Amino acid sequence: MGIIIAVISGKGGVGKTTVTANLGLGIAMNGKKVAVVDFDIGQRNLDMVLGLENRVVYDIVQVMDGEATLKQALIKSKANDSLSFLAASQTKDKSVLDSLRVKNLLMELKEEFDYVILDAPAGIESGYEHTIEFADAALIVVNPEVSSIRDSDRAIGILDSKSQKVKEGEEVAKFLVINRIVAEMVQSGEMLRSDDILEILSIELLGKIPEDKGVVDASNQGKPIILNEKSKAGQAYKRIAGRITGHNIKMEDVESNTTSFFTKMKGIFK
Amino acid sequence: MFSWLKKKKSATIAKDRLTIAIMSDRNNETYPFLDELKREIIQVVKKYIGVKAIEIKKETEGELESLSIDVQLESAS
Repeated sequence: MGIIIAVISGKGGVGKTTVTANLGLGIAMNGKKVAVVDFDIGQRNLDMVLGLENRVVYDIVQVMDGEATLKQALIKSKANDSLSFLAASQTKDKSVLDSLRVKNLLMELKEEFDYVILDAPAGIESGYEHTIEFADAALIVVNPEVSSIRDSDRAIGILDSKSQKVKEGEEVAKFLVINRIVAEMVQSGEMLRSDDILEILSIELLGKIPEDKGVVDASNQGKPIILNEKSKAGQAYKRIAGRITGHNIKMEDVESNTTSFFTKMKGIFK
Repeated sequence: MFSWLKKKKSATIAKDRLTIAIMSDRNNETYPFLDELKREIIQVVKKYIGVKAIEIKKETEGELESLSIDVQLESAS
C-alpha cells in the first residue's frame, strides 16, 4: 500500500507542477514506484514538464468514466522506468470530479505504487478539495512572497477541514516547500527568510529550492531539472526526494550566497 | 540615492504585514463548508415550517468556538 501526497498551493503560478514533476522523478530515482497524477483538470501542464505530451492517449476523466483502464492510461516516463504518469483531461472542467470516483481511482493507484503524487489545482479553485480529500500528506508549495504565503494559509485551512484523515480523527501530514528563493535578496533584506515563513505558517519545513533559470530551460525540453546534476534547483529537488523516501538529509542553506567569502565570514561573527 | 532613508527592510515589513493579515484571516474565517451547511439546514427546517433566511456565524470567545444559527421564518400571512 502506497501513500498519497498532494502537492498544493494557495495561489497558482508558484511552481506546483514543476515540484510535482521533479519530486516524482526524484523519488523514482530512489528506486520507488511512483505515479504522478495531474489533477489540474482543464489545464494539462504536467505532461509538458515531463516531456510526455505526445504519448497521452487516455486521461484521468476517461479512467474515472470507465472508458479506459488505469493500465491503458498510465504512461511510463522516458527518464525513469519507475515513474508513471496519468494526464489531466483538457476538454472537461473541474466539476467532473466527485468524491467517490476520486477515491476509487486513488485506491487503485495506491495498490500499485509506493508513492502517488497529485498535482492539485490552486487552493482557490474548484477541484482542489477533491484532490486533498484522500491524501495522506500534503506538500504546500510557497514562494517567499506575501500573496503566496497568505493564500497558502487559507489552502491549509481547507485541507484541515476537508481531509478524510482529519474527519476520521487522524492528522494529515503537512510539509512546506519554499520555491524560488533568491539568496541575494534574502541577504539584502528584500525577501522573506525561510525562518520567518515557517514562523508565520507554523508548519514543518521539507525543503528550500533556489531560483534557477535552468528550470525554464528544462521545461522547454520536457526534461525536469532534477536530471541536471549541476543545477542548484535540481540538487535541492534531489535532497527533498531523499527526505520523502526516508533519508536523513541535512537542510542546505540556500539563502546565503555561499560563493562569497565575506558572507561566510559574516556568518561566523553573527 | 535615498536608500539610507529606508528604516525598515522590506522583508521585515512583509513579515509584520503577513503576521497581522493571517491572524485576522484565521479569526474571521468562516468555514469553507458554511454554504453547504446553510443549504442543508434550510432543507431540514423547511420540512416543518417556512424559512425566509438563515444566518450562521462563527464566534470565538477565548478557547471556545461556537456557531450561532439564526433562522428567520416566513411570516404567517
